[in-house]
Amino acid sequence: MNSTHAMTLALLPEAMLVGIAVLSAIIAVVRPGLRPDVHRWIACIGLLGSLAACALVLLGLRQHPSGIAVNVLSGGFVVDSFALFIAILACVTALITCLISDSAVRTIPLRTSAYYALILVSTAAVEAIAAERDMITLFVALAAMLLCLVALGALVKTNPRGAVSSFEHLIEGGAGLAAVLYGLVLLYGTTRSTNLAVVTGAASGAPGAVALGVALAVLGLCAMFGVFPLRQWVGRVATNIPAGTAGFIIAASLIAGGAALARVTISGLGPDVSVWRWLVPIVAALGLGYSSLSSLRETTVSRLIGQLVSAQAAMLLLGLLAFGNGSRGFPAYGMTAFLGGLGITAIAILAAFGVLAMLQVAGIGDRIEDMRGLAHRSAPAALLLTVSLGTLAGVPPLAGFLSRALLISSAADTHYGWLAVLATGATLLTVIAAVRLFATLYADAGDEVPFTLGATPLVSRIVASAACIAGVGLVVLIQPLLAVATAGAGTLR
Amino acid sequence: MNVILSTIIWAPLLFALIAVFLPERNDEERTRVRTVALAGAGASFFVTTFFAILGQIGLGPGGGLASAYQENHTWFWNFLFQAHYDLVADGITLPLLVVVTTIFGCAMFHSWKVHERVRLYVVLMLLVETGVNGVLCSSDFVLFAAFWGLLLVPMYLLIRIYGGDGARRAAAWFAGFQAVSLALIIATTVIVVVEAGNQTSDMTPDLTTFSITAETVGFWLSFIAFAIAMAIFPVHTWMIEAQSKASAGVATVLSGTMLMLGAYGMMRISLIVFPVPAHYYSFVITGLAVVGAFWGSIGALRQDELRRFIGYMNVAQMSLVLLAIGAQTSVALVGAVLLLAGQGFASAMLTLVSGAVEERTRTTSIRAMGGLVSQAPRLTGFYLVAAASIIGIPMLAGFTGDFMVFAGSFPEHRIATVLVMASVIVTTGGLVWVANRVFFGPVRDQFARVRDVTLLDLTVLIPLVGAVLLFGVRAGAVVPVITNGVLEITTRITGG
Repeated sequence: MNSTHAMTLALLPEAMLVGIAVLSAIIAVVRPGLRPDVHRWIACIGLLGSLAACALVLLGLRQHPSGIAVNVLSGGFVVDSFALFIAILACVTALITCLISDSAVRTIPLRTSAYYALILVSTAAVEAIAAERDMITLFVALAAMLLCLVALGALVKTNPRGAVSSFEHLIEGGAGLAAVLYGLVLLYGTTRSTNLAVVTGAASGAPGAVALGVALAVLGLCAMFGVFPLRQWVGRVATNIPAGTAGFIIAASLIAGGAALARVTISGLGPDVSVWRWLVPIVAALGLGYSSLSSLRETTVSRLIGQLVSAQAAMLLLGLLAFGNGSRGFPAYGMTAFLGGLGITAIAILAAFGVLAMLQVAGIGDRIEDMRGLAHRSAPAALLLTVSLGTLAGVPPLAGFLSRALLISSAADTHYGWLAVLATGATLLTVIAAVRLFATLYADAGDEVPFTLGATPLVSRIVASAACIAGVGLVVLIQPLLAVATAGAGTLR
Repeated sequence: MNVILSTIIWAPLLFALIAVFLPERNDEERTRVRTVALAGAGASFFVTTFFAILGQIGLGPGGGLASAYQENHTWFWNFLFQAHYDLVADGITLPLLVVVTTIFGCAMFHSWKVHERVRLYVVLMLLVETGVNGVLCSSDFVLFAAFWGLLLVPMYLLIRIYGGDGARRAAAWFAGFQAVSLALIIATTVIVVVEAGNQTSDMTPDLTTFSITAETVGFWLSFIAFAIAMAIFPVHTWMIEAQSKASAGVATVLSGTMLMLGAYGMMRISLIVFPVPAHYYSFVITGLAVVGAFWGSIGALRQDELRRFIGYMNVAQMSLVLLAIGAQTSVALVGAVLLLAGQGFASAMLTLVSGAVEERTRTTSIRAMGGLVSQAPRLTGFYLVAAASIIGIPMLAGFTGDFMVFAGSFPEHRIATVLVMASVIVTTGGLVWVANRVFFGPVRDQFARVRDVTLLDLTVLIPLVGAVLLFGVRAGAVVPVITNGVLEITTRITGG
């Protein structure tokens, strides 16, 4: 395969998305009065096209036992099974978002095309992040994604706090991005190369600078991942931006942050650069403790979801740590648990926000108080909220529980027993937080006026419900997910 | 393909899914919901009874082997360990499955007494039954933990929604303790899959690979987890609260099945997977049994509330089972299983009778009651049968269990056995005292119009009486089956 073909193939999934985004924008300019539905279906076609492109690369991958389908830009952009896993996950996330965010789009009939275009471009950025092994392009992709997500949030603001929270997201994300940039600059200054893989060799030359650089980069990426300390944006976005859109912003950021962290730490730095291997456990421990404790005192469902997402993100860091062999010399499969958990979390986030969007359309408030007796008023709504939140919180026997169990066992197998104990305790707290909400839904008496979810369009209802059911279905079908995740994890180093 | 165990586990869930979609706007629709739920519990009961236990009992000494009813499919394998959908019903599981499915069947009949939010009630009950049956049949740690976790939310909601005053607090206690129990089970699972190094979460790992430290830690984690579930002293408070504040139907399930799961888990995991520390620390287990037996029996005497009294009786009964677990002899463990069966039936009966009494007298105070036998002789009869079974009167389910527990424990822990036997006298005194205060003595005017048992009460209670008698009279038919199940434990402990 010559370099032009390789480049074309490597960028095909991203190109599909950006191209369709541009097409949608052009159509909006040429035919301004077009129904919002048209833009949605155009976006869906783009996402399906990107998925098809991924499938095409995947077919090519079968001929490469190394798991790397395309390697361009001198190894700076690598389309391997990990990148494909993330790309497919990002596309599925975006596809679900396009189908469930009907109510949010209705509030901005004149900017529908921009809305879907931003979703497509941010998805393309997530796909690119997963394939980056070059510092400069990684930073550019991260910045592009952050800007798209912030713009998306600002676009659909339905309350005065929406724009403010988008701005705050920009500030906080910007701070994280700045940390990443400073960190990468320090690494470049030490290694004289923008290739992350070179850092390992240069670590012994200037250990202080490398340590500082790595610490800044990792902390910055953790901000994007939604982990303590720069995680306040998650709660603000969850609360102030319409649910369907907020779900995408948080899920896309989580996927991108996770992919970038995996690329930087495992693909790039590896086990020889020890800084991240003691920094990540500390961040994970603080994140788990802070978010799980905070989840107990939340008074709104959206903020509760935000805390649960942060706790789950911190939990995923356990998988990142367990990337090598375990105590008995067998692979610890931490990255398999990481990628599997990432998939389950992304779907659970969309499911939870999808249900919240349906409740918003039905006129139900966001406060936990407003959810009193929800089961009396609409049993399906209560059931869907129970399953989606239960999955996020790790309530057994849902998929989130299984994902946490796998992450914890991986960590325990790689001498992070103390973190495994902490993670088990944190799961206990998030489960209690979820159970308290369930009690409000089912046990407490509230407004007895029944309502239905019928005001939400049928497609959105079906897709949101399917995402919720995935929380149960993935328990049974965990093996296919783990098989794909194992394949994805295999090429990280 | 053998799907008997899957049917026993999943039938309730299947019927719960059907019930979810049924309306409940009027009495007729509510009856339909209850009927569907009853069919779910009934399917599980009939499959258990006819295909499993009768087939095994018919085999005599050859029954109850682990290979008799087994299903094994690999669940996931692309990981640090393989997990299996591995279901086994050996001699320990089979009798307990019969007890559990019988109690759930009775609880479903009892749902005719629930008039509000019937659909939610039966769906939650069926979910609990799925979890309980799943725990009993699981032979894989991950599967076991998943089924155990399934119990948490439905049971919490059942206690809280359908309980009386103070149910919120009782449900919170239940959830808190059970969540800790679940966390400890997960920790045990992690220790086993990591330390055994067999790359499997199977419940019978190769023990030679365990380090002493890992085995000891694993044992204590699992022991505490199951001690909480078993409600033994000093982690019994949740059960007393839940037992006294939950509705009668829910309390029946709680005392009849949940406590049993704790004891079952202790035998299945703490003893089989960690036999060395289990044997080494048997004196601690026995010590706890002695303290618990007296704490439960004396505590019961101090209660004025009927259900709290039953709660403390459960603590005392579970201490007898704990004594057998501490003794770890074949005879004692067979007795423990029989005792669990007898205790399940008797405790369920006592709870239902106490619910019926409270419903009729509008009071929960033992001292406020009296002379009910003249108005409700049959209700009194049911109480006496249950009490007699707990005391260990011959021909009833409790007798063989009590006898075998004491006979099996005495050679190992003589003083402890004698002390626990002494506590049984206190327990007997308590049961007789309550019978005297509640049912006998002078008739009180305010209870002159108390009704005796209704047809619904009879429908619920008669199967339990039948079961108590059957396990009492035909204990000899069940013992060989249980013995085969217990063999695995004793073989492990003796290092065979």
